[in-house]
This record gives sequence, structure tokens and C-alpha cells, in this order.
Amino acid sequence: MTKYTSVSIPLTLHKRLEKIIAKKTGFKSVSDYVTYVLREVVAMHELKDTPEPFTSTDLDEIKARLQALGYL
Amino acid sequence: MSKKVAVLGLDSVPPEMLFHKLIDKLPNFGKIYREGIHGSLRTCDPPITVPAWMVMMTGKNPGELGIYGFKHRRGYSYSDGYIVTSTNVHEKTVWEVLSDRGRKSIVIGVPPGFPVKHVTNASTISCFLTPSSDRPFTNPGELKDEVVKAAGGKYIFDVTFRTENRADVKKELFEMTEKRFDVAEHFAKKPWDYFMMHEIGFDRLHHAFWKFFDPKHPKYQKGNEYEGIDLEYYSMVDRRIGRLIPMFGEECTTFIVSDHGSKAMKGGFCVNQWLEQEGYLAFKKRPDKPIELDKVEIDWSRTKAWGWGGYYARIFFNVKGREPQGIVDPSELENEKRRLAEKISKIKDHTGRTMKNWTTEPLKLYGTAIGDKPDLMVYFDDLDWRSAGTVGHDSLYLFENDTGPDDSVHSMDGIFMMHKPGRDLKGREVSGARVEEMAPTLLKLLGIDPKGVGLNGKMIEAALEGAAP
Repeated sequence: MTKYTSVSIPLTLHKRLEKIIAKKTGFKSVSDYVTYVLREVVAMHELKDTPEPFTSTDLDEIKARLQALGYL
Repeated sequence: MSKKVAVLGLDSVPPEMLFHKLIDKLPNFGKIYREGIHGSLRTCDPPITVPAWMVMMTGKNPGELGIYGFKHRRGYSYSDGYIVTSTNVHEKTVWEVLSDRGRKSIVIGVPPGFPVKHVTNASTISCFLTPSSDRPFTNPGELKDEVVKAAGGKYIFDVTFRTENRADVKKELFEMTEKRFDVAEHFAKKPWDYFMMHEIGFDRLHHAFWKFFDPKHPKYQKGNEYEGIDLEYYSMVDRRIGRLIPMFGEECTTFIVSDHGSKAMKGGFCVNQWLEQEGYLAFKKRPDKPIELDKVEIDWSRTKAWGWGGYYARIFFNVKGREPQGIVDPSELENEKRRLAEKISKIKDHTGRTMKNWTTEPLKLYGTAIGDKPDLMVYFDDLDWRSAGTVGHDSLYLFENDTGPDDSVHSMDGIFMMHKPGRDLKGREVSGARVEEMAPTLLKLLGIDPKGVGLNGKMIEAALEGAAP
């Protein structure tokens, strides 16, 4: 179960966000929208630390598999 | 508009198999066929899993995506290449567009899905390109244990293609697909607006067993032990969709689609040996036994062009100032491409019949062609022959895949079915639907204007009409 805490944002910003989510479908509250935006930002930062998707062993195995299937 | 939309992606299922050969023996597919709408779904060029699913899910063509197959050449290197992964997809998929609007998705196995991407409002499982279940393969990461548990302790991404032991391939194939549906059923119970699963098993069934079940395959033998494996596998999936689709609820519009079709392979055409014969490719020492091209010493000072194998051929020219040892003057490149395309159009098969070959250029085909594209794309004999990139064969014509026995090639038409509970659409046949029309159609059904996300192309109108309130 996700636990929650509060952060403070200026009231004027809150009002501007309310206007934005009124135009979007799906977001039920400013908190929903702010959580979404922050998750995107955090993911963007984490992406910078992502290693190469395949090791050299992976690559050999995947190439062999794709070759056997006729793709290469 | 539909409150919920589900897509079941069955890799490489052709209309000939599902609609013409087996539909009467498949009660659940048959119900959707009779009560929904169905038709062919024209794939993209090239008709390859990667990029076809991303064309379907982004609404962008391969040139716009910059994805031309599973493997790409890195820049203008002679030997350096890379496997296309999810990190090479820079356009937003349907579930990413939905996530931006706070709508929730479940996405299982859609390729290329590894490494798994962060999408805030989607629960995703990566695809058959995942090296092993030791890697992170779910978004969010904590779903991994849930997936493994739902799969009975072991989730299978892909089968091991062992041509010498088809009994094991069969066992693993059925086990993999059953597990995928177990996981799909588990996730179908969660809240979502968009649900999608991809099943690679059909593609593996076709590549590994086509010659056993298709009497039109040149190597078919009547009475063989795998003669009924197509019906057996399709029936298993029929049983599973009969359980899964009702779980989506009465308010869900369901699509069943494939990314391309399949057909019997006639053989492999040795594109590089042919290029050598025609004076385009030169070796320092001609190989005397079958070997991959990148293991042979090529005399680049006398090589104008070379090709890659696969279900279509990619041809690269050795251009001065572009390739490390280029010899084709850039001002001559267009003429060289035209001359080679003419020669390709005159290639004959092993019986002396002129093949129905088709050659095109990415930029002309797509309008935009970013990324590591080939200079020419070639389909041999309407794709009946695959392109064999290896060299050192006795003949230009191979009757087995040069990288191991193989039974099927890809075809341009996949399948499209749509069903909405309580709606009798009388089994109407829809013609002309194309993979790139799926993304805008799905978004429109989910209440999002496709033009608002830059998708200005056609939609599948019959689907919008069929699902209309």
C-alpha cells in the first residue's frame, strides 16, 4: 500500500495547475497531476544512470537467436 | 468512445491461417469473427516484428521511427552494428500518450520492450528480447515478483529455437504461451483503461513448424508427427482468449491483431554472392565454404555495394567520404542505386523464372528516413525468398535458411478483428486497414483526439463505427 506525505506549493501555482488538469482527462486532483509530473522528472534523472541494455554475452545470445529465426 | 480498450497482439498470424483455414475449429475466435468485424491488416515495409509493433502503437512509419529491422548498422561502419531496443523508440506509444493524461494501461511483452521503460501510469512487462528474468523486466520494478508468481514461478520470454529437437521447442512453446495468458489474466483484474498483450509464440510456431502443417510448403510430408500442431496451438490460444476476454468486462472494445503475416519459405537467395558475380563486391580471398560476410576479408577498394540477410535485403553502397574506404562517388550514388535496382528486377530463380523482386529506397518510401537506414531495401520474389547474407555457397539458391533450417517467411498481410460485447456487427469484413492506423484509432476510441498528439493520418473507420455508443 502506497503511503503519502505532503509538500507545499504556492497557492497561485495550485490554481494554475487546477486550470491545466481541467483541460486534461484522467487526472482527478492537483495532487494526482503533481505526483505524475514529479515521477516523470525523477525517471528522467534515473534514466541518465541506466547502463547499456545488453552485455556482450547477451548480444551474442540474441544475435544467435535472431539468426536462427531468419531475422539477420 | 469506449470506456476501456484491449488489444491482443498475436505475432505473425496471417489471414490465411486464422480466417481461411482454422476459424471453423476455433469457437472463441469464431464468435468474434461472426459477431465483430475482421479483415486483413496491412503491415509496414519492412514486414518485420521490429518495427511493425511500434508502427502500430505510435502511428509513425519506420522512416519516422528510424527503425528498419532488429539489427542496425552503426552509422557508416562496415562491421559495427546494434540490436534495436526500446531505447531506440523516440515516439510516444498509445500507453505513453494515455499516461500523460492520467489514464492507466497494462502492457505485456510488446516489442521492443527491453529495457523496460518508465511510464508513470502503465504497468509493463518487457518483451522476448529480454536476456533473462534476472534483469529488471517490469515497470514498476516491484511488479516482477508478481509476474513470476502469476506465471507459476517462471516467466518465459521466448523459446529456445532448437531445430534438431522440435519436441522440446513444442513443449516450451505451449508452456510459454500458457504462462503469458496466466499473467495476462492476473493483470486483467487490475484497474486499467488500456490493456495490451503480445504473444510471440505464433511467430515461433510458424518459423519452426510451417513445413510440417502446410501442404503447400515444398518440404511438407503427409502424415508427419507435427501435421496438426497449427490447430493444436491455435486451439490452445482460442481456449485462453475465451477465458481472458470476458474478464475485460462489458464496456471493453477488444481488438485482435497481428503485425505481419507468414507464408511458406521457397528458399534463400545469396545476395552477396550475386553482388560479387555482378562486380559490386570483391573479396581478398574468396571463401570456399559457407561463412558470414563479416568474417570474410572484403576488398573495399574494389567493392561498390554489399547486402544484409533477413526476410528482406538491406543494400549498402560504399560511398567515398561516407564509408571508411568508400569508392562510389557521391554524385554517382543515385545512378548506381538505379542501375542496381534494374539488375535486381531481372534476377531469375533456380528454374529460370524471373523473380517478382521489389526494390525501394527508405526516403522515397517513407518521406522521412532518420537513423541508420540502408541505401536500398529489396524483397525477393514477393518475399517468398529470404535474403541470405552468408557467402561461400555452391549456388545462389539455398533451400534452407543459411543460418539454420527455417520453414516460413513473412508476408504483408496480418489480421485485424474487433469485438464489443452486446454488439452484433455481423462478421463484417473490413478491407484496407493498415498497421499505422491502429494508434490513432485506439486513441480516438479512448476519447483522445489523435491530431492533438500529431497523428493526422487515417483511422480504421469501421472500428470507430462498430464501437460507437
